[in-house]
Amino acid sequence: MTITLEPTVHGDRVSLLRVLGPAHVWALGVGIVLVGEFTGWNFAADKGGALAALIVCWVVGLLYTSVAMIDSEVTSTVAAAGGQYAQAKHIVGPLMAFNVALFLVFAYTMLEVSDAILLGDTIVAKAGVEGLTHNSFIAATIVVLAWLNYRGVLMTLNVNFVITAIAYISIVVLFFSVSPWTQGAVLKLNELVTPDNALPYGWIGVIAAFQFGIWYYLGIEGTTQAAEEVRSPARSLPYGTMAGMITLLIAAAMTWYVCASMMPWEYLGITYYPLWDAGKLTGSPLLENLLFIATLLAALASANGCINDAARAWFSLGRDRYLPTWFSAVHPKYRTPYRSILFLLPIALAFAFIADLNQAITFSILSGVLQYTFMSINIVMFRKKWPLGSIRRGYTHPFHPLPAIVLFCLCVVTFFAIFLGFGSQLIAMVAFYFLISLWFHFYRYKFVRRGDQFTMPWPKPQGY
Amino acid sequence: MWMALSYACWGISIVLALWMLYDWFKVDTTFSEEVLTSSREGELEAVSEKHRI
Amino acid sequence: MSRYTPPEQNKAGQIFDIVVVVVAIFVALWLPLKMGLAGAAKSIDALDAKTWEALGQNPTMASIWEKLGYTPETAHDIIQNRFHYVIDWPTLIIMAAVLIGYFVFLFRASDREYRDVINEKFDDK
Repeated sequence: MTITLEPTVHGDRVSLLRVLGPAHVWALGVGIVLVGEFTGWNFAADKGGALAALIVCWVVGLLYTSVAMIDSEVTSTVAAAGGQYAQAKHIVGPLMAFNVALFLVFAYTMLEVSDAILLGDTIVAKAGVEGLTHNSFIAATIVVLAWLNYRGVLMTLNVNFVITAIAYISIVVLFFSVSPWTQGAVLKLNELVTPDNALPYGWIGVIAAFQFGIWYYLGIEGTTQAAEEVRSPARSLPYGTMAGMITLLIAAAMTWYVCASMMPWEYLGITYYPLWDAGKLTGSPLLENLLFIATLLAALASANGCINDAARAWFSLGRDRYLPTWFSAVHPKYRTPYRSILFLLPIALAFAFIADLNQAITFSILSGVLQYTFMSINIVMFRKKWPLGSIRRGYTHPFHPLPAIVLFCLCVVTFFAIFLGFGSQLIAMVAFYFLISLWFHFYRYKFVRRGDQFTMPWPKPQGY
Repeated sequence: MWMALSYACWGISIVLALWMLYDWFKVDTTFSEEVLTSSREGELEAVSEKHRI
Repeated sequence: MSRYTPPEQNKAGQIFDIVVVVVAIFVALWLPLKMGLAGAAKSIDALDAKTWEALGQNPTMASIWEKLGYTPETAHDIIQNRFHYVIDWPTLIIMAAVLIGYFVFLFRASDREYRDVINEKFDDK
């Protein structure tokens, strides 16, 4: 395959570059999410015990399968940078779109912050040197990845593909090297997860665990951000997203099985490096080092994808004048939303230096769940305004409206779970979104061109 | 060794940050604002589908 | 329907708008941290007897804790640090009201704006 790039400026237009294939979509989705297996999911064990972590792994897996199906249908039809933002703009309305873009930017930036903190802390833990702090590693992670993103999307996602694949393979290697088929040798599941301690808090613990169960998969919906840079979005996006979801379900199951069979739940619930610890506990230096490196790579891949996604959401806001148009600049040579990348860089750095891992993860989860709630309503409105057959869809998801209902119910449960641990934070964040929505609706929206926002070549929606 | 790595990280961060600032300045002064912000949603096919595969 | 022409925003106005958004982001993320609202209700249920048995750890678990470098004394604060799930009804009701109110406002205001968009897009032709 040879790609000959046209001279960088086509007449008077500069746009993002369509160079990505399904593998890049997979790398973007799984790359962002896989770090969740290396840290984060295990806090679900803290909230409800080892068995609760497994239950939410599957139930939240169902939530995300719904997300992936719904998202694939809408995005294979609305293929524009900004992903869910462009969907909301065409289906629900401008204010919703503005909020969705903020959910995206928050979720991804805070996820990027978590990744950088994780990477810094992992190196510091490995080094064990007095006086070594994580700040330099955090700075290097965020700046180097921003630079990579600045220089072009193809290279960014090629790198992501390689490091994600290595991190994934390391989980598979760990799984098979602890002889998963025989309990008792290395794995001692029946001695670690007993009837007495499987659900230490009972069923309320299972519900509370939903909050961190989200972390097994958070970010898979980010594949849609690449819509303007994928060669054939209608095919690649559903394919890459679904393949990613399957990959993640397998990884989540393997991770739980190995970790729950090697560590007591109380420890599993508080460690920041469950897989690295599992590697250590095998007693093999090779596995320990492999999992150490894989933890770093997973964090890098995730932060990389997050910078990519957050910048595109921010860029789209500028392009529609929801924010100053200054942000909608595309680099004439690298064809990236370079001003958005640069603008979000210091914000990520600031939070990485001041927040801790748990808080950053919670912020990210909150914005994520708000967004999934929107998606469940969005798909119902999409089918109503443009019934099947009225426009060409790249992919049509089955069993509608069941996935939407499942998604909505699971979102409600997750809100309740967040209430059990972080209720005040949720109220504070929703208050923020509410105030900024008022600002947008009554002030900022006057700078927006009305009809121009609707860019899809669709017929008029039904009911309008 | 870890301390050295830490300093190297600061170094790389500063160099790359400065390079991005330099490139940003260069691009913004070389091209007009109209060209830079000329990307439009939904109009991509026509402009960027010119590469051959 | 006549086409809506938005006013041009000057540079200072644009910069001011960016500052508003950034400040709002920092306040929303900072305030809960500063006011000590963040973090879950976890507290240590202290035990007098610090042995693996008293901590509810069987020999397999105890051997893993030791492999990880813990003694019953150091593991005590981890194992006994428990969540205390209590459903605080007033907070729950406030949270539900805030969430529902927010989404209702979002969809209603969006719909009003959306009708303008559709009218201009499809009636101008």
